[in-house]
Amino acid sequence: MTTLRLVWTFFRIGVMGEAQYRVNFAIQVFQSLLGLVTALAGLAVVFSYTDSLGGWGPNEVAALVGVYILVGGIIGVVIQPSMEEFIESVREGTLDFTLTKPEEAQLLVSIQDVDIWEGLNILLGLGVLGVALERLGENVGWAQAVAFGVMLLAGAAIVYAFWLILATLSFWFLRIENILVIFQSVYEAGRWPVTIYPGWLRFGLTLIVPVAFAVTVPAEALTGRLDWPTALAAIGLAALLLVVPRVVWRVGLRRYSGASA
Amino acid sequence: MTDPAIHTQGLTKVYTVSEREAGMRAAVQSLVHRRTEEVRAVDGISFELAPGEVVGFLGPNGAGKTTTLKMLSGLLHPSAGALTVLGHVPWKRDKDFLRRITLVMGQRNQLVWDIPAADSFELNRAIYRLPAGDYKQTLRELTELLDLGPLLKKPVRNLSLGERMKCEIAASLLHRPQVVFLDEPTIGLDVTMQRRIRAFFAEYNQRFGATVLLTSHYMNDVEALCRRVIVIHEGRLLFDGDLASLVQRFTSHKTVVVQLETCPDNLSAYGEVVSCEDGLATLRVPKGETPRVTARLLADLPVIDLTVEDPPIEEVIERVFAQKASSPETKGDG
Amino acid sequence: MALAQLYQAQFRTSLATMIQYRASLVIWLLGQVLEPLIYLIVWSNVSVAAGGSVGGYTTGDFAAYFIVLMVVNHLTYTWIMWEYEYRVREGTLSAALLRPVHPIHADVADNLSSKVVSTPGILLTALVLSLIFQPTLHLVPWTAVVFIPAVALAFVLRFLVEWSLAQAAFWTTRVTSLNQLFFVAMLFLSGQMAPLTLFPPAIQTVAALLPFRWMISFPVELLLGNLTPQQTITGFAAQAVWIVLSLVLLRIVWRAGVRVYSAVSG
Repeated sequence: MTTLRLVWTFFRIGVMGEAQYRVNFAIQVFQSLLGLVTALAGLAVVFSYTDSLGGWGPNEVAALVGVYILVGGIIGVVIQPSMEEFIESVREGTLDFTLTKPEEAQLLVSIQDVDIWEGLNILLGLGVLGVALERLGENVGWAQAVAFGVMLLAGAAIVYAFWLILATLSFWFLRIENILVIFQSVYEAGRWPVTIYPGWLRFGLTLIVPVAFAVTVPAEALTGRLDWPTALAAIGLAALLLVVPRVVWRVGLRRYSGASA
Repeated sequence: MTDPAIHTQGLTKVYTVSEREAGMRAAVQSLVHRRTEEVRAVDGISFELAPGEVVGFLGPNGAGKTTTLKMLSGLLHPSAGALTVLGHVPWKRDKDFLRRITLVMGQRNQLVWDIPAADSFELNRAIYRLPAGDYKQTLRELTELLDLGPLLKKPVRNLSLGERMKCEIAASLLHRPQVVFLDEPTIGLDVTMQRRIRAFFAEYNQRFGATVLLTSHYMNDVEALCRRVIVIHEGRLLFDGDLASLVQRFTSHKTVVVQLETCPDNLSAYGEVVSCEDGLATLRVPKGETPRVTARLLADLPVIDLTVEDPPIEEVIERVFAQKASSPETKGDG
Repeated sequence: MALAQLYQAQFRTSLATMIQYRASLVIWLLGQVLEPLIYLIVWSNVSVAAGGSVGGYTTGDFAAYFIVLMVVNHLTYTWIMWEYEYRVREGTLSAALLRPVHPIHADVADNLSSKVVSTPGILLTALVLSLIFQPTLHLVPWTAVVFIPAVALAFVLRFLVEWSLAQAAFWTTRVTSLNQLFFVAMLFLSGQMAPLTLFPPAIQTVAALLPFRWMISFPVELLLGNLTPQQTITGFAAQAVWIVLSLVLLRIVWRAGVRVYSAVSG
């Protein structure tokens, strides 16, 4: 399908653009390791005083941290750079170029910028995940691996939808330059299992800023804690959220182009 | 009669803008009560463009040129009025429509910053689904016309402003659009580059017959490129006709340039003296009196050379702008 | 005095800007509230699981600690490092360099005036969190009084250090990495992640020798009544020493930075 070819072209060009900046790679290594150390050191301090956090043992939380870093990498590779670029293009007026192209603008806007070095976080996350699972002594069976893959995909779709909605809101709220920071601030909560948070916060982390579906749920799939209601909810929400941002986007575009309501 | 490429009727765009005064109290007040004002950016513009025409939209900043252009390219919904471009309604943004138009904006880049322009072109190629053969040929033609050769391999960030503009233009023409919208394309460029770009579009229009609509507040752009000029002021169409008619209609004076040995004292008897230096005198003479004045000059003074010119276009345009907007007699011959 | 006028004018500008960008402000506050909140919940969980207290902190003590920390962190907060990175990128740094007054004053004024608007928000949040998490706070009158200069000095110290580090923007556009390193160190060594007494003794010694503790943890510990009078005096002394050191650092870095900047931009 030509849409896939388009996506591949954008990806290829994006990688080309970034790959020449080898310094960025070194910096990414530094930052990723720093993030890793922070997460694991925090873990170490907490688990020096207890064996269980919200019902999760140390290696399970380590697996969670692995997923946290992994999903962070997925976001950092394409979702975040593209959405940041989109918000900037609204401000600079270069969105007009995108809108005069004979291609679905939502697609163009979502794949326009790629930060390939963030891919390191994907690798790092998988690494941490692997070590944690090994220490858990879990043999990750096919069922769990597939469940993990599906939950990860659902989580990624939900996160993408959320970022897109946030970014589209900038059509209305021109002066919120840091609107995307909402997710990044709240994402921090994903480093710990969502079960430790009081009900009202857990609600916020599930349905308002979908951190739970991004991080905890895939981790649950892998450590055998996933139950059917949660899995179905994740898939259901992902499906729903592939429609909602589209509607928000359409409305946002109408607003941008001054269509009467 | 072929269908017009562009047709507008009573095109209007109204904005509501919030306004606020300076000062602390007003700032806090604005939290509670927003004052808004209606701005008629475009107010009932009607015109038609035949395919292959090159038309200049002229007007001061804020006149409504760019707003009109954005409505024509589908970026803005009109508040009122009818509008078709190539038979399509622009704001519907049919893929078919978008494939046949292009937009070039001065000082705004669509090329990816860090990679060679040639790679950015690949993106457009993928977006417009251009077959390899067509793409290569178009690229070859554009490279030749714009003299792009060595530029294509350099990362865009390493190009000078003018070189970047050339690449931007090439990128926007890869899909051989039938209608080309240019929004202040030469702004910020040096004089040589401005001339090159004007020459390019003139040749492009001749070769490929694309309809070109250009907005500018540089008179030179319009003078060099457009036979037809549409003057917009405060959202209204002030003049629609060829440049010569514009000059004729709006000037009441001619400029008489006389070369003498020295500057005589009684020069003002012949007309308004604009300047006189080393015997080169410039006079401003009412149109009707020009024949009489020139005759007298030739008879009375030792004239070495004498020419009668139209006043500079800038002056004409300024005068047009200074008029109150849109009275029926200001509409020129289309 | 010209300086007072500068502060006044800067106040007004910042206030107006803040009202315009009030939504951005709320988002910024959100981040400032979430981090201590998350650690509050984590440590409460640990405390409950361990039978009600950990390292001398009960669940209620943890709540008190992190709520006070949130307020102190906010009061001492600066964003100057990002601001400088932005300015160097946009080329607006020269405007500050051309003024007859040292640019740090405008930055201080901007910081303080922003806090005039945001502090009520943080205090309100602290109140709400107190209702939810029921902190145990034993306020001893003298600590409450001494708390104020402790916070003031903590702010001065933090601002001077971060402002000096912000000058790194003169040398490199990649200050984000430097910033990150600084903030990670701050996270562990200033008490933001956990009360410093919960860390192994080696880390605690390191923390005592670095300025981070005196930027945030010290006033917090003070208000919570965890410090003896002697420890309090030592704390103030440490703050004073570090302030002097950072003033020296600031001078060196500023001079060097200006030299580099004028050489590059000409």
